Amino acid sequence: MKYLRLLLLVVFAAAVAGADWKKAEPGWQYQFPRDHHAHGDFKTEWWYFTGNLFDAEGRRFGYELTFFRHGIRPPAARDPAASRFIVNDLKFAHFALSDVSGKRFRFEQKTSRGAFGEAGFDDGKRLAWIDNWTLTENGDNAFDLTAATKEGTIHLHLVGTKPPVAHGENGISVKGASGGPASHYYSIPRMATTGEIFVDGTARAVRGESWFDHEWSTSQLAEDQVGWDWLCVQWEDGSELMLYQMRLENGQPDPSSSGTWIAPNGAATHLRGTDFQMTPIAFWKSKANGARYPIGWRVTLPGRQTEFTVGAALEDQELTLGPITYWEGAIDANGTRGGKPIKGRGYLELTGYAVGFREMLKR
Amino acid sequence: MIPQYSRIFRWHVLRHLRRHPLLGLLNILSVALGVAVYLATQIANQSANRAFAATVEMVAGKAELEITPAGGKLPETAFPLVAGTAGISAATPILRGLVTLPDFPGEYLEVIGIDVFTNEPFRTFDPRDFGKAGFDIQQWLGVPNSLAVSEEFVTQHGLKAGDKIRARVNLVDHELQVGFILRNEEALDSHFAAMDIGWAQELFGRRGELSAIHLRVANPRAREAAAGELRKVLPKEVRVAAPARRTEEVDKMLGAFQLNLTAMSLVSLFVGMFLIYNTVSASVVRRHREIGILRSLGVTRKEVRALFLGEALALGLVGSCLGLAGGLFLAQFLVGAVAGTLSSLYVLVSVREVALKPLTFLVAGMAGLISVIVSAWLPAQAAANMPPVRALHRGAQLEKSISPSRAWLALGLFSLLFAIALSFLALSPGPPWLGFGGAFFVLTGFSFLVPRLTSHFSAGAANFFRVLRRRRRKAAVEPELAAANLSRALLRNSTTIASLAIAVAMTVGVSVMVFSFRKTVETWINATLVADLFIGPADNQIAGPTSFMPPAAIQFLAGQPAVATVDTFRGMALPMGDSTIALAVVSGGERRNFQFLSGSDPRDMRRFHDEACVLVSESFARRHRLRNGEAIELPTPEGARKFPIAGIFYDYSRDQGIVYMSERTFVRFWRDDRVNSVAVYLKQNASGEAVSDAFRAQFSRDAQFVIYSNKSLRTRIFKIFDQTFAVTYVLLTIAVFVAVSGIFLALTTLITERTRELAVFRAIGGSAAQVRKLLLWETGMIGVLASSIGLASGICLALVLTGVINRAFFGWTIRLAFPWTSLALTPLWIIAAAVVAAMFPAWRAGQLVLTEGLRDE
Repeated sequence: MKYLRLLLLVVFAAAVAGADWKKAEPGWQYQFPRDHHAHGDFKTEWWYFTGNLFDAEGRRFGYELTFFRHGIRPPAARDPAASRFIVNDLKFAHFALSDVSGKRFRFEQKTSRGAFGEAGFDDGKRLAWIDNWTLTENGDNAFDLTAATKEGTIHLHLVGTKPPVAHGENGISVKGASGGPASHYYSIPRMATTGEIFVDGTARAVRGESWFDHEWSTSQLAEDQVGWDWLCVQWEDGSELMLYQMRLENGQPDPSSSGTWIAPNGAATHLRGTDFQMTPIAFWKSKANGARYPIGWRVTLPGRQTEFTVGAALEDQELTLGPITYWEGAIDANGTRGGKPIKGRGYLELTGYAVGFREMLKR
Repeated sequence: MIPQYSRIFRWHVLRHLRRHPLLGLLNILSVALGVAVYLATQIANQSANRAFAATVEMVAGKAELEITPAGGKLPETAFPLVAGTAGISAATPILRGLVTLPDFPGEYLEVIGIDVFTNEPFRTFDPRDFGKAGFDIQQWLGVPNSLAVSEEFVTQHGLKAGDKIRARVNLVDHELQVGFILRNEEALDSHFAAMDIGWAQELFGRRGELSAIHLRVANPRAREAAAGELRKVLPKEVRVAAPARRTEEVDKMLGAFQLNLTAMSLVSLFVGMFLIYNTVSASVVRRHREIGILRSLGVTRKEVRALFLGEALALGLVGSCLGLAGGLFLAQFLVGAVAGTLSSLYVLVSVREVALKPLTFLVAGMAGLISVIVSAWLPAQAAANMPPVRALHRGAQLEKSISPSRAWLALGLFSLLFAIALSFLALSPGPPWLGFGGAFFVLTGFSFLVPRLTSHFSAGAANFFRVLRRRRRKAAVEPELAAANLSRALLRNSTTIASLAIAVAMTVGVSVMVFSFRKTVETWINATLVADLFIGPADNQIAGPTSFMPPAAIQFLAGQPAVATVDTFRGMALPMGDSTIALAVVSGGERRNFQFLSGSDPRDMRRFHDEACVLVSESFARRHRLRNGEAIELPTPEGARKFPIAGIFYDYSRDQGIVYMSERTFVRFWRDDRVNSVAVYLKQNASGEAVSDAFRAQFSRDAQFVIYSNKSLRTRIFKIFDQTFAVTYVLLTIAVFVAVSGIFLALTTLITERTRELAVFRAIGGSAAQVRKLLLWETGMIGVLASSIGLASGICLALVLTGVINRAFFGWTIRLAFPWTSLALTPLWIIAAAVVAAMFPAWRAGQLVLTEGLRDE
């Protein structure tokens, strides 16, 4: 899969962001369902679903299904009459299934030219698809997800139990201290999920909760950023938290790291980098590439009298896909808020540990 | 026996060689030349085949099956259909095309449009960024006409990343951006380039089309089953086959040409065998005393034979080794010449690497050694059979005066009859290579007749000179003696004469063949090439019929006041059954004079233009065993259709044969009226210059078109013709060189063994000058005999070459014609060469010391 590895590298190359693409600017007014759909004027876009699911016997599964769009040719340059083989958008997707009880992690990547409609975005019903991996809009803030591989299949129906929440301030989520790289970014932080997981030759009815991220931009990483740590937690009390920190070449978090606190009633509060601290407390070393991932964290939000730790539901949830080898997995969170214990489940994403993006580009 | 053998070998052989280095050297040289020429030819052939196979491998990669359009087009929508077929594990689409590069005149690139999303399992090369191992997919997919080229191409033209080059496709210039380097385990053909398939479709103006779909099957053993499944879902006119088929097809196509070249290359080795026979028998004669001594000391017959064979083998081994090295050297020149010929006659091949297979070297080396053993066997046997007592007698007759037995005559006549039989067999039912048997036995037959002819000549000439001497008192005695001497060492003289005659025969045979061929082509061209101007896109000369005449250009020409009519021509390749055939589509053509085998009938031409039928060339008809009135099945876009043959015509443009179809018929079934070139007929007294100047100003400012006048096209055709036979002439020249060194050698030995005889001649009053004269007369007569026999057998050989070999292999009729002047000159230069070769030995003979020569008398 030499090619695919190289192929995906480019997504993170901020340098290629051309002038022909629209940039994420302050003042974006999110509208739904409009913004669930593709934003072809922007270079990069992804639809990111993660969730924790249980079957009737209480067997726990985590899943991740992500569709990426990476613009190759800006809309102005596209010729609808030209060869169907000409690629305007790169289309690829990641699917991972964490069998927490069975201690197995399965993942796969798909990409396609989509010359014959086998992959694409936004055909009216489907928001994104590659072969038999599909994301379909099915009602208000509701989606159907399907992904099938030789190792496992999911068919899920997701219904938002909270409205979409925009991250950042004034319609943009800033990713760099200089204010340059930014994106439009919203989530549906809690989606009631029902459906079926087929794995190990058995179909299991599952239910649980999912988190949906949708983000689009034209530039992502700043020059000195090497990766990021991102997490989301759905607390049992009905609130949610999303935090991310961009890591710099010198190992320090970028001051522009931020997050969002969502109250049980859906009210969202923007968190600045100074509002929270993330400290790694547990590590796991990849056998595949020797990368050391901080899969356990202590998180403090002094302003909210909140302190908790997160731990991986399963140590090995590394997607060794290359070049974007990353760790993305189900987590448990335990701590206190205002002295009272809190508990939650969520997802943690750790990128840039196997190889820094910049180094990958240099190779 | 081994240690004893090596001791005797040292004493007997090496010492001898030290004393007579020239003999050994000539022997070595003749083997070396034979081996070198054979090896070089093989290398050149194999390199050309390998180069073609490499391009197939490069493009088809690791594909197990290949879908190609047959006749029509391969629609791209077939791709998802195919990819989803049961038994197919991977599929990737391909679009190929040729571009010429106006910035680098004469250069072309074969651009392969690839799909990096699906071709992973097939890939044999990798596009990579300049200078690093990365691959900027953004640029590959996003930048129009972003091109990957070979490292060699970049170096050749001093290109760097991002450089733009102009590429001409169907007369239009496009800008390609050199963005990537093609990496591959082996060195890449510099004519090879790749780009994304989407941009390739745009560049070649072939939206919606593919050149091929490459496939891998889930179970390689079930390949045929998978192919069957594919045929079910695919349109009828596409072809499903293994990519290796294409290589086989081309190998087959080149086979005849290459076999002929190989046969030609063996001539040197063949002539060399006579030379070796001569030297070994000379050394047997010279060492008869030694043989006697050895035999009386208890050395067996077998050991004596082994000694002489060992000597020949030792020399042969050195010769073969030198030949292998020489062949390697010679191949450097031959490879280009052969590839050039193949490219202009058959397929575009560019040989970058000389194919060096160990087996080829082994075979060439073995051929050298075997030829040595075969030719040394008889003299070695004679040495072994020599009775010791007779051998010891110093004054003994050196060579038994053998009389030309009836057996030789019978053998000779039988060989000639056999040659005739083989020739007929080669023509029908075949196989064609029996024709070489025919040629071989013509030469062998005449060789067997040489002793008898020589003895008759000797007696006749001696009589003649005797009578002459008696009539004119002053006439010299030398010619008479010389004539009589010819039959004294009959066997060796015959061998010398035969080897020279064979070389002459080869030269004569091939010259007559080439001359006849040229004459035939000339007559054919005079009859068929009657237009005044020929105009076509220049790219077609480099890349084959890939560019088309713009309709506006044709209209422009037709509208010129000086122009009477414009005929059009379209060339294309079509699959027919298992092979690919050439189809020519013509319009007009009322003036195109087809020369029909059955004689010209205007009704045939009318039928050709009005009905859905075809005309086929003679080669085509022979190759496919077709007759007038039969039909051929061609794949049209609407499925296979039978086209009756309305006539068979003479054609010498390609040995694979060609099928002509009228434009009306073609457009009706193929719905494609593009043409590759036009033939312009001018009105009486109109100026071709004016028309071509006007055309150039209007359409060809950037030299997109080539314009040939009738005369310049003829010149070009004959240039290609001569180039084709250039290699042949080189091989022949070498054969003649070997033969002439044979004369030199034969004379040197002749003189040595006749020391006593010459001394007696001196003793009874012959002067040194007379000795010299005697010897020169002898060689002169050898030259006369060799050239007359050579001429006679050469003409017979020409009959076989033109009437049998060319007909059987290439399927065309060549009318025999003789280059009288050069034939008449042949004896002159052969006799001259013989006399010159004899000068040094004759001079030495004059210096003979009398007493030494007469010691035993």
